[in-house]
Amino acid sequence: MRIGVFTCHCGENIGRTVDCPAVSKACADFPGVVHSEDYKYMCSDPGQNLIKQAIKEKNLNAVVVGSCSPHMHEKTFRKACSDAGINPFQVEIANLREHCSWIHDDVPSATLKAIDMMRMMVEKVKFNGPLTPIRVPVTKRALVIGGGISGIQASLDIANAGYEVILVEKEPSIGGHMSQLSETFPTLDCSQCILTPRMVEVYQHSKIKLMSYSEVENVEGFIGNFSVTIRKKARSVKDELCTGCGLCVQKCPIKKVALSEFDEGLATRPAMYVPFPQAVPNIPVIDRTICTYFKNGKCQMCKKVCGREAIDFEQQDELVKEEVGSIIIATGYKLYTIDKKPDDSPIHGYGEYGYGKYKDVVSGLQFERIASASGPTSGEMLRPSDKKVPKKIVFIQCVGSRDEAKGFSYCSKICCMYTAKHAMLYKHKVHDGEAYVFYMDIRAGGKMYEEFVRRAIEEDGVKYIRGRVSRIYQDDGKIIVKGEDTIAGVKVEIDADMAVLATAMMAQTEAPKLAQTLGVPYDKYGFINEVHPKLRPVETSSGGIFLAGACNSPRDIPDSVAMASAAAAKALVLFGSDMLEREPVVAKVNEATCAGCLYCKKVCAYNAVEAKEIKDRNGNLIKVVAYVNSGLCQGCGTCNATCPSKSVELLGFKDDQIYAQINAFAEV
Amino acid sequence: MKQLIEISKELLESRKAGYIIGYTEDKFHRTKPFIAHTTNDAEKLTFNQKAVHNLAVYLTRLPKPKEGKIGIVAKGCDIKAIIGLIQENQIKRDDIIIIGMNCNGVVKDINIDYNKENSQMKCSICELRTPKHANYIVGALEDFAKSELTKNILAEFEALSAEERWKFWEKEFEKCIKCYACRQACPLCYCEQCIVEKSMPQWIDSSPTTKGNFAWNIIRAFHLSGRCIGCNECERACPVNIPLSLLNRKMGMVAMKEFNYRHGIEPDQPTLIGNYNTSDKEDFIM
Amino acid sequence: MEEEKFEPKITAFVCNWCTYTGADLAGTSRLKQQTNARLIRVPCTGRIDPVFIIKAFEKGADGVLVSGCHPGDCHYNTGNFHARRRWIFFKQLLDFVGIDSTRLYFSWVSASEGKKWVDVVNNVINSVRAKGPFLGYKNLNKETELPLVNKN
Repeated sequence: MRIGVFTCHCGENIGRTVDCPAVSKACADFPGVVHSEDYKYMCSDPGQNLIKQAIKEKNLNAVVVGSCSPHMHEKTFRKACSDAGINPFQVEIANLREHCSWIHDDVPSATLKAIDMMRMMVEKVKFNGPLTPIRVPVTKRALVIGGGISGIQASLDIANAGYEVILVEKEPSIGGHMSQLSETFPTLDCSQCILTPRMVEVYQHSKIKLMSYSEVENVEGFIGNFSVTIRKKARSVKDELCTGCGLCVQKCPIKKVALSEFDEGLATRPAMYVPFPQAVPNIPVIDRTICTYFKNGKCQMCKKVCGREAIDFEQQDELVKEEVGSIIIATGYKLYTIDKKPDDSPIHGYGEYGYGKYKDVVSGLQFERIASASGPTSGEMLRPSDKKVPKKIVFIQCVGSRDEAKGFSYCSKICCMYTAKHAMLYKHKVHDGEAYVFYMDIRAGGKMYEEFVRRAIEEDGVKYIRGRVSRIYQDDGKIIVKGEDTIAGVKVEIDADMAVLATAMMAQTEAPKLAQTLGVPYDKYGFINEVHPKLRPVETSSGGIFLAGACNSPRDIPDSVAMASAAAAKALVLFGSDMLEREPVVAKVNEATCAGCLYCKKVCAYNAVEAKEIKDRNGNLIKVVAYVNSGLCQGCGTCNATCPSKSVELLGFKDDQIYAQINAFAEV
Repeated sequence: MKQLIEISKELLESRKAGYIIGYTEDKFHRTKPFIAHTTNDAEKLTFNQKAVHNLAVYLTRLPKPKEGKIGIVAKGCDIKAIIGLIQENQIKRDDIIIIGMNCNGVVKDINIDYNKENSQMKCSICELRTPKHANYIVGALEDFAKSELTKNILAEFEALSAEERWKFWEKEFEKCIKCYACRQACPLCYCEQCIVEKSMPQWIDSSPTTKGNFAWNIIRAFHLSGRCIGCNECERACPVNIPLSLLNRKMGMVAMKEFNYRHGIEPDQPTLIGNYNTSDKEDFIM
Repeated sequence: MEEEKFEPKITAFVCNWCTYTGADLAGTSRLKQQTNARLIRVPCTGRIDPVFIIKAFEKGADGVLVSGCHPGDCHYNTGNFHARRRWIFFKQLLDFVGIDSTRLYFSWVSASEGKKWVDVVNNVINSVRAKGPFLGYKNLNKETELPLVNKN
């Protein structure tokens, strides 16, 4: 074994707390090490050249680098060594930065620890064998989960590149929350006007298979080779026959029972409904929980009036299996609802704002529906309780955001902008109205955003009050808002006609469950984690699964669209080759010692282990052993730990490699 | 034993069984394992209270017969081992013929006749005196003197402090000579290359240091957790009398208490290791 | 003569996707910890065989920490479920044999729980320091002069 050891200072990051020259000197004395040096920036070009040079000059066959986390630069150093002629898997990284210099202060003990860590990796690398990457074919189809603006953008980008996309949306129509908005900041474009053409493009695109009113039930497989089971929920309408004439919806007698989800509960919808007039696809759905036929077998009005015999009460949910190579998660967000009674929200606070108690205290999305021309008031600014025009309206920012005690600690990013927008929309419609905004800060960091807010203040006369609201209550038909003005240093009380709460943006309720189905990590809020917030913002830790939009963190439309295109680009990178090279960290069975108990098969989550018959030359069965399909194996090693005789080993993390590390941290 | 011999003769003559693994009486009136290949051999088959050996251990060690299945004389407890082997793909149920014996308890020491002191603890709590899953059931059930069940022997042991427990086992494991008789006697220890025979890396010292003895016995008990059927042959085989049944019984108790599981009862019962429950306890995990 | 204060050695087996990344996050956030722990990276807690834990104690660890993804969040779907089942048996077995099973710690630390990782590590180090060196095994090691560190 001829091992080269390279200790990086990482500028000051490691060098300040770990005595790198001392570490390098100690490593030179380890048995098997023939070259040891340290350098300021090992990952840089000159740094990598040092490694390559040493490999050539000293005829090294393995390399250990003490640097930042392997998650950062393992690939970099592996490639450098591979270029110089060593097998890339005979390279190990000791995490001297994240796991040593950055978490300790005392230089002597941090240096001793660094030396230990280097020794452990030197001992491990002695048992690394050369490994060759495995090549698997790629299915050049994508699955996009979520039909909001992010999902729509990603689908169009991939489809326009010539690859088939399956777009799954759980609601009866695509469009997401953007279809509920009246106008969008900072341009005050009509939301539906810019969205609907995109929705239609998706519907008509030859390469996009739209599965609306469907949900992803199960996902198996791995990058380039996913097998997805999708549940097509039963609309009770045959979509091949429906023309979208809308007669059934008109004639449905159960009109006032259900609250419209699209109108955020401000209006009702029939049992047979299309969520909104511009829905794509324009095929209705029967809400079986309130439909008379499903309750007691009577009515059938829709069936009677349907000229195409498209109504099918017997329709069942259908499970559809699809093979795809890449998955994009674009499931979006929901708004924090803050009733006194907590729903599925982990936080229940702000009962003092009276949301759910007073009809005229509404959420941001509800205000959008009031302002929207297609909404319950046809765009007229009327308050929900008595349909009067509110002359004084109060907007409250940061309801649920930036509040660790009662809500979420994060900032929901869009509320400052949409509150300004709401105030402006109000003033455009009620010229003599007074609009007040209670704020903590104004976050208007995007392009033309600051100018937009200034417009609200200077041109439209919206009054901004810096302070929080302590209580909202109703008195004689008025909504009394009690707050404070911290700049003037006084308490403020406004007898408003209506209050709008800019509630926090949350992850969807089912997001953690979907993440578990896909095997991707998520944080405590349910937002799905990206691999690296700066350098890999659209990738998840599962290869082939990408992120777009608000499912990852609160985000506005421009950023969501950009992220969706980025995720689409990542999928297209995958589709760019016919074969995918996979890391060869897979399990391998020693057939001589395997007794064929097949416990490894039981614990394998990927069905990568099969029984294999070993026969003699006459075809007589000698024994049955386990066999690992390296195309399916994902390299978790559970089989290795379960096997009592250690006949199956995980290459890259074999028993001897782990033993070497345990041994290296020994009583000296 | 007439019934046993008749059945065995019939099986061998008709070539339904290639050979039958059973017991016979030796010159000193003890019982020992015996493989009957012909009808003459079958005359020598016997079964009595000295038939303590778990014959299932031979199922993974003998070559398959050229013609016919393998017959095996088995007590109720032995059949649990057979079921364990079936679940772990070592034998197929269709490849064996089980001659189940109604059992009236077995000895600890085959040199002495059966009596209350010379009786296995497992017999006093046995629920399989009439075996299940057998092709034939032979013999008569009779009352027998049960050993004094040192009830709650495990509970008593666990009441000791950690120090005392360590001292107990240190004393016991110092005796271990790494002969691996326990492993050889165990029907479920059939690995072609045992973990202790692996030298790259050597997880368990093969030399009889106390440290290595601790590791060997702990790991063997661990590998058998959820798989041990409690036949206690390991303890009987141990030349230095280490109380291995304590260890294995403890693992059996854990399987029972935490997972309500006993190994070897039904062949289609999902095994403990190799499966999981999302509600497995985790109060010990931070 | 001043006796050298006892500093425990903690060997930690951590899974790559959750705890190792969580430890990285602790590093990026510059959260300070004590220096006594050494991490051994495995792809999944499913890879961790109890024989590693015994070997760690044999080789001089005063405490062992095993950490992975929360149940349901395993990168490989089910690895940590199988691991958990093993641990239930193993901890009770160690306890039964009189090996101080309180020196063996398990935790679930996710990739975003940098702070929790620091708390876990510091707690383990402090607890083991209070217990003192693992004399049971240290005495066993003195039985023969078998060299402990492979020198090859």
